[in-house]
Amino acid sequence: MKKIHKIFDHKWASTLLWIVLIIVAWEIAATVVAANNRSPENILPHLYQILAAVFSTSKVSQGMTAVMVVLTSAKATILRALAGFLLGITAGFFLALVMKLSGLLEKMLFPYLMLIQLIPVLGLAPIILAITGDINSSRVIIAAVLSFYPVATNTLAGFKSVDQDKYDLMYTYAAKQRTIYTKVLIPSAIPYFFTGTKIGAPMAITASILVDTLQGDGGLGCILSQSLRHAMSIYVFWLIVFFSAFVGILSTYLMTWIEALISPEKRGIRKARREYKKSAVSQKVSVCPQISIRRRKAE
Amino acid sequence: MTQKRKRPKSLYQRIKENTKIQTSATVILPVLLGVVIVVLWQTQTLHHLFRTDTFTLPLLDRIGSILFDNIDKIWENVVATMVVALAGLGLGSLLGYGIAMLAALCPKIGKGGLSVIGAFASIPVVALAPVMNNWTRDISDIASVRSMVAKILVVMLVAAANMGLNAYRGLTELKPYSMDLMATYAAKKRTTFLKLQLPNSVPYIFVALKVSVPASIMTAIVSEYFAEYIIGVGRQIRENIVLSQYSTAWAYIATACIMGVVSYVALMIVQSILLRKYH
Repeated sequence: MKKIHKIFDHKWASTLLWIVLIIVAWEIAATVVAANNRSPENILPHLYQILAAVFSTSKVSQGMTAVMVVLTSAKATILRALAGFLLGITAGFFLALVMKLSGLLEKMLFPYLMLIQLIPVLGLAPIILAITGDINSSRVIIAAVLSFYPVATNTLAGFKSVDQDKYDLMYTYAAKQRTIYTKVLIPSAIPYFFTGTKIGAPMAITASILVDTLQGDGGLGCILSQSLRHAMSIYVFWLIVFFSAFVGILSTYLMTWIEALISPEKRGIRKARREYKKSAVSQKVSVCPQISIRRRKAE
Repeated sequence: MTQKRKRPKSLYQRIKENTKIQTSATVILPVLLGVVIVVLWQTQTLHHLFRTDTFTLPLLDRIGSILFDNIDKIWENVVATMVVALAGLGLGSLLGYGIAMLAALCPKIGKGGLSVIGAFASIPVVALAPVMNNWTRDISDIASVRSMVAKILVVMLVAAANMGLNAYRGLTELKPYSMDLMATYAAKKRTTFLKLQLPNSVPYIFVALKVSVPASIMTAIVSEYFAEYIIGVGRQIRENIVLSQYSTAWAYIATACIMGVVSYVALMIVQSILLRKYH
């Protein structure tokens, strides 16, 4: 029993427990469905069946296996999501910067920035497709808009969160406006910026897949709706569901990772931790009994 | 002795320091921008800019007139969408708060649930909606009921993740030493929860709702795209575009925007009433 308690001291243990619980629940449900339903793979296949579909070599469409179909269409979808996402976060960051620079623009645009959050942009997907007429550019535009506003609002909040005493300090240094921005405002807005990107990244992927379903042009969403209509094996559908869930979760973790890589605070924390480890090692050496005994003898 | 003479303030400086002008500017400037956009739209300058015609991007007065002509039908769809969004939001928020409570009371087991539900939030709605449609197929024989349940489930998951993460912060990020104070009172876990943690989490609940109210409307609209039964504002947007009735589709888009704004304003009013004793 004590051992079990010790296991839960690890951070990942409880996450693992929940994942196992979900898998068990899924399998029980799948067994029930399999007993009562004529085509259980449409509703809830066993997880091992989905896993088997990953490794199966049977051709699904145009001489490609299920995994190949998913991966080739995923490439198209993710690349467009990425293009839109990069466009959106750049625009969001610069808009926040411009709004911080000019109070006039901030007053003018801030209510609209709030308003755009309340507009269901994904609902606009079909109309943007109709306006641009091009599925590729509409995908990029919607992904950009969706990743744009969380970044813009969060970065602006980051610029505003800088304390007055920091401005005062910069004033005593007689710092130029540019220096204040590069040394104080932008570094302190970076964590807020990444909060925005963490919201925006899965949204950009969702947007890209959704626009796929509107018009057939490769891409995950297109294959998804084809598979749902039984144009190809239903396992392709399940693979896409799991794949897109995986990509969505991964995108959030990727943002956390990039944040840890470039934000000055986290870099400082990592450096301190390294030095702490080093000092802990050297302390261990000095505490080592043999050395202390030798030292005593020398005295 | 050369004393520095006080320079008269420039007009720019005076405007900048006048609080009355500044507060009125926060209202006037956005309205001005709105008027400019409306004028550009009505004079078809926007259409030249985006290289479209009045067929795909109808003029505002036409959208308005369609909105009023079809008000009964639109209202029916609004009710369908709002029922899904609000039911999902309510159930999901309760679920999220429950998980946050679990995580706050027994962190060893509950914390994992929090990260799992956070992961659920990153799953694209597009992937969730068809899955839920499949799962709810046997719930009822009536197509409208089972597709509504499916939509509610999707919204629920999105709202639960939001509420769970925020409520956990509300339940654990307490004022320094307040937990120690409860310990010196020899307060029971239940008392600590009811008197300290629960009140502390109320502002965080509203932070979560501010995000999840628009998000759940958006999710409801998107999951309508995949639903079996054809109803709801989102589905009408899509159906009308398939039929090339762009003006009607725009009327539904305008409705969706109004829904978002109205529900947000309603939330703000509720918040200001409930949080009055905090300030």
